Amino acid sequence: MSVYETQGFRLDNSGRRVVVDPVTRIEGHLRCEVNIDSNNVIRNAVSSGTMWRGIETILKGRDPRDAWAFTQRICGVCTGVHALVSVRTVEDALGIRIPENANIIRNLMHATLYAQDHLVHFYHLHAMDWVDVPDALKADPRETSAIAQKISRWPNSSPGYFRDVQNRLKKFVESGQLGPFANGYWGNASYRLPSAVNLLAVTHYLEALDFQKDIVKIQTIFGGKNPHPNWLVGGVPCAINIDGDLAAGAPLNMERLNFVSEIIDRTIAFIDQVYIPDLIAIASFYKDWLYGSGLSGKNVLAYGEFPDRANNYHPDNLLLPRGAIVDGNLSEVHPVDLRNPEEIKEYVVHSWYRYPDETKGLHPWDGVTDPHYVLGKNAKGTPTNIQELDEEGKYSFIKAPRWNGHAMEVGPLARWIVGYVSKKSEFKEPVDDLLGKLGLPVSALFSTLGRTAARGLEASWAAHKMRYFHDRLMANIRGGDTSTANTEKWEPSTWPRECKGVGFGEAPRGALAHWIRIRQEKIDNYQAVVPTTWNASPRDPKGQIGAYEAALLNTPLSNPKEPLEILRTLHSFDPCLACSTH
Amino acid sequence: MEGKEGHFTFAPEGETGTCYVYEGPVRLWHWINAGSIVVLAATGLLIAHPFPSVMGEASHHFLMGDVRFVHFVAAWLFGGGFLVRLLWSLVGNEYSRELFHLPLGDGAWWSSLAYEIRWNLFLEKRARKYYGHNPLAQLAMFIFFVLGSVFLILTGGALYAEGLGEGSWADHLFGWLTPLVGQPQDLRTLHHLGMWFILVFVVGHIYMAIREDIVGRQTSVSTMVGGFRIFRK
Amino acid sequence: MSETVYEVMRSQGITRRSFLKFCSVMAAGLSLGPAYVYDIARALETRPRVPVLWLHGLECTCCSESFIRSSHPLAKDVVLSMISLDYDDTLMAAAGFQAEACIEDIMKKYPNEYILAVEGNPPLNEDGMYCIVGGKPFLEQLKHVASKAKAVIAWGSCASWGCVQAAKPNPTQATPIHKVLPDHQVIKIPGCPPIAEVMTGVITYITAFGRLPELDREGRPKMFYSQRIHDKCYRRPNFDAGQYVEHWDDEGARKGYCLYKVGCKGPVTYNACSTTGWNNGVSFPIKSGHGCIGCSEKDFWDKGPFYKHLSNLTGFGVEADADELGLIALGAAGAGVAAHAALTEIRKPGKEDKEASSGESGHK
Ligand code: HEM
Ligand code: HEM
Ligand code: NFV
Ligand code: SF4
Ligand code: SF4
Ligand code: F3S
Ligand SMILES: [Mg+2]
Repeated sequence: MSVYETQGFRLDNSGRRVVVDPVTRIEGHLRCEVNIDSNNVIRNAVSSGTMWRGIETILKGRDPRDAWAFTQRICGVCTGVHALVSVRTVEDALGIRIPENANIIRNLMHATLYAQDHLVHFYHLHAMDWVDVPDALKADPRETSAIAQKISRWPNSSPGYFRDVQNRLKKFVESGQLGPFANGYWGNASYRLPSAVNLLAVTHYLEALDFQKDIVKIQTIFGGKNPHPNWLVGGVPCAINIDGDLAAGAPLNMERLNFVSEIIDRTIAFIDQVYIPDLIAIASFYKDWLYGSGLSGKNVLAYGEFPDRANNYHPDNLLLPRGAIVDGNLSEVHPVDLRNPEEIKEYVVHSWYRYPDETKGLHPWDGVTDPHYVLGKNAKGTPTNIQELDEEGKYSFIKAPRWNGHAMEVGPLARWIVGYVSKKSEFKEPVDDLLGKLGLPVSALFSTLGRTAARGLEASWAAHKMRYFHDRLMANIRGGDTSTANTEKWEPSTWPRECKGVGFGEAPRGALAHWIRIRQEKIDNYQAVVPTTWNASPRDPKGQIGAYEAALLNTPLSNPKEPLEILRTLHSFDPCLACSTH
Repeated sequence: MEGKEGHFTFAPEGETGTCYVYEGPVRLWHWINAGSIVVLAATGLLIAHPFPSVMGEASHHFLMGDVRFVHFVAAWLFGGGFLVRLLWSLVGNEYSRELFHLPLGDGAWWSSLAYEIRWNLFLEKRARKYYGHNPLAQLAMFIFFVLGSVFLILTGGALYAEGLGEGSWADHLFGWLTPLVGQPQDLRTLHHLGMWFILVFVVGHIYMAIREDIVGRQTSVSTMVGGFRIFRK
Repeated sequence: MSETVYEVMRSQGITRRSFLKFCSVMAAGLSLGPAYVYDIARALETRPRVPVLWLHGLECTCCSESFIRSSHPLAKDVVLSMISLDYDDTLMAAAGFQAEACIEDIMKKYPNEYILAVEGNPPLNEDGMYCIVGGKPFLEQLKHVASKAKAVIAWGSCASWGCVQAAKPNPTQATPIHKVLPDHQVIKIPGCPPIAEVMTGVITYITAFGRLPELDREGRPKMFYSQRIHDKCYRRPNFDAGQYVEHWDDEGARKGYCLYKVGCKGPVTYNACSTTGWNNGVSFPIKSGHGCIGCSEKDFWDKGPFYKHLSNLTGFGVEADADELGLIALGAAGAGVAAHAALTEIRKPGKEDKEASSGESGHK
């Protein structure tokens, strides 16, 4: 039993312990334990990553040009982002500059991921925390239709359309085989939507499932497949040939570019006419469920993303903002330096790894990944049958990254907060607009709902950026530039004997960076610090908690047997455990 | 002179006569085989590292196709020849069997092998005379050539099966090999290594054959041409 | 009462005629003759949806991601009308013990009738605790659910071969599922990830015919894995012609020449990419300009590097490909021969001494 204060939170593990394992509708294996007081309010939270694959270890000794493919398999949900950051990392180490077109195509592929991943998260991973699926059967489709037509000009909105979906759902439920909807927390008092809105959301769950597969075709066109498209150190593998000999057989020609363009139009339409209106409609019923602030109002971190011009990673050239906010001081955005050995460090005192000296953190260039699975002495159960973890010992395969000693929240909300306080109208206006529509103050941003809303705004932002980059690509080609790869330093014989590099980006879930050391043409050390590593971080030597643990605190559960509120807040981060531990 | 069946023999020191060793089919096979291996190695290397690209329409060229075709023709000659040679060892003379059969239970063979090793390390002053192969050559031929050939035929056959596809005759004959060695890329690696294994033999073999003619006390290369071994003083 | 697939489809407003049309499209999609249309129809008319328990081990979830990309049939229709996806922690509403209860319910209600689909694999190191589900090793859950499964599907290269986490030095001892389920015939659907329509194609085959597809030596369905990428690659004429991409973004790259020289593993990879295509046939790696990396083959991660035709072989502290090793061996043989020839010239063996050193004949 222990009580202590950290980062302005009071942790008290004296109450009843509630364990959620597996946490579902996420990527990978996450375990969550909380202690609730007699009013069923969460007073202590423990987030544990329960898988480890050793990709950093596996990368050692391999050809740096292959690293993108290995790191890409860190995660198939945020597919491509580790590959993108990996090629940037290797290019940084070897001093390779990529052509303008390659930068644009990479941005297009990355924005595609933003749109698809955020959409799938909202409808397929998160929605059931807010939407009572069986309750949609009680809806009057005419009412749903009226709402749909009021909030959007999306054409699939007739009463008949919603009735068909409702009938399909009805037959499905009546079949007795509930499939993925079995044992859901239906009827829980935390669900607030009227039946008509539930039906709207369920309908769009199915529609979004059909549509998301079309968005990713952009990655398929440029990278050959999705999930896990192909990338290339020095550029992109898809050569352009618009009207030369054999252009019809080229990876990118007029037909392919038009294909991409058409998908972009449909993506913008779907996000702006379905996702955003649904988000606002649903949020309007949860305006007073503003739990889950956690670290978001205190410490947030963003590296920045989408280099407008190739090879320039200066914040001024990044379309998504960069910077850190600490201790809730929104008036100061700190610069972030990934090369500074003092800024970013990973700790393992509560993680299932071993360092020679665990009181100290390690900068990723000198990072060590040496697994060491042991349970704390107060853990309940056995090492192969854990009943309760002991957060005073080691309890997670996730390391604890810290920026200048602070635990940080990363992700869409972090990015949009940094953008908002930087007074960039691109970020400020949509936020103010959304808050205005919901009649909420800026402080409401710092919440579970804020996280979910920021993701939606960002999906729309990314979809429009796809249009921007497609136009840029066309303009470049029009100007006669069709170059897609720089092979000057392709051959290892052109590389220095020893070098190191860092590549960064913003994954859908937040700030991502990889660090590499190359020695004699081979990877000597490779370290990744991943968004979910930040957010799902366990405690550090000072006892500071990570973003998940912080966000769960002080949330009341309407029914402690049903972890609906826990899921809600965890899902607002879009957890990815394969990413977090890699 | 004739050696006795089932016993290892070498020629007496004073032997100066001639002996009919390699029958026509063996000689013919030997040279066809040598030629096919040279062609296989050359085309094999070109399959792995093709010529610089030719430009233009694909339908105007068939360079890689031709290289592969030549490899396959030579592979048929090589593989077919190997089979014919194996069958010939059943009907041919005693020397025709030596390639496939090491008289491991024969002490005289072992001591001659030791003698040959000493001879090649310049520890013996005089070359021994043999009616057929000397034991060192025989051992080398068995390990490098016979086993190497079987290996190349099996791995080559399994590669060929990949091209003909599942259910093809080649697949039935050789397809089982692939999962055994791992996966198709392993097959390639092994086939490739097999080539180098044989090429190492070829270098040593040709050197030894010519050297034997010069410093040995019997004919060698001409024996493989005319069939007769002539012993010198 | 459980409904049949046909009833579910009818109830969704699908007419008998379009139902039969669906069956014939399915037959065609599975390369089956028109005679099978009624088999499919009968199957769909009489069976309740097959329960599927989809487990996740060490993996990246891209097999699930691929699955939801299926265009024909739509993932939505598979989940709503063809199977009953009763457990899949990536999609299911329930969590914690309510989720685990779903597994037990199905095992009790449909023993030996449900399909176990596995994405990822179990690590054996650290008593299996590199992958923990519900506080216990994933390995335990896997064996438990397999014990009453009618069929076991290995989704992707992770479950089939081990995949990226099993690449050297395989720190967690990640192990393909057939090795820990020796009593089961495991249907392998390799690929990193597999093609969506291949995944749903296998599922629909099983649900429609009530039997497992014919498998090859390795346990892969022949209908999708009996040909190499190279055999149906549209760049094959360029391969035969000798027209290659020599460097990225060169003339050959812009003309769509063969990627063999930049390491394409299409000639050693069994998968349906060059026939089925990816994402509803939009493209596949080669069509978009990158070679195949062999992602559906056993241990393809250790057959690299990806941009070379020959694999690097490691061992004895050195790393080299077959040609580098061969040339070293050949060079050594050549040097040995030259040295021996030189010594022969100097020592002139057999020339100076005419006396017999071993007089007797070898005759016995
Ligand atoms: C690819 C090249 C070659 C291969 C694989 C090869 C293989 C063989 C084999 C398997 C035999 C045993 C024949 C038997 O017992 O049936 C043999 C014997 C022989 N080969 Fe070659 N050969 C090659 C090239 C040559 C060349 C170029 C020469 C001559 C310069 C040569 C000279 C001989 C001689 C003299 C013998 C008889 C050796 C003896 O009786 O001990 N070979 N060769
Ligand atoms: C001395 C005998 C042989 C040598 C030295 C040899 C050598 C080679 C080499 C170096 C390759 C290139 C492998 C690569 O792509 O990395 C090759 C390919 C091949 N070899 Fe052979 N080989 C021999 C015999 C055979 C035989 C007996 C067959 C049986 C049919 C065969 C069938 C093949 C096939 C099918 C390929 C692959 C061709 C392709 O993928 O286009 N080879 N060989
Ligand atoms: N965390 C994380 Fe990822 C993302 N977004 C990667 O960098 O999900 Ni798999
Ligand atoms: S097979 Fe490849 S793609 Fe599928 S889960 Fe494993 S690593 Fe991911
Ligand atoms: S691109 Fe690859 S699969 Fe296609 S023909 Fe060339 S080597 Fe074969
Ligand atoms: S890399 Fe994989 S996706 Fe297909 S073309 Fe090769 S098998
Ligand atoms: Mg790391």
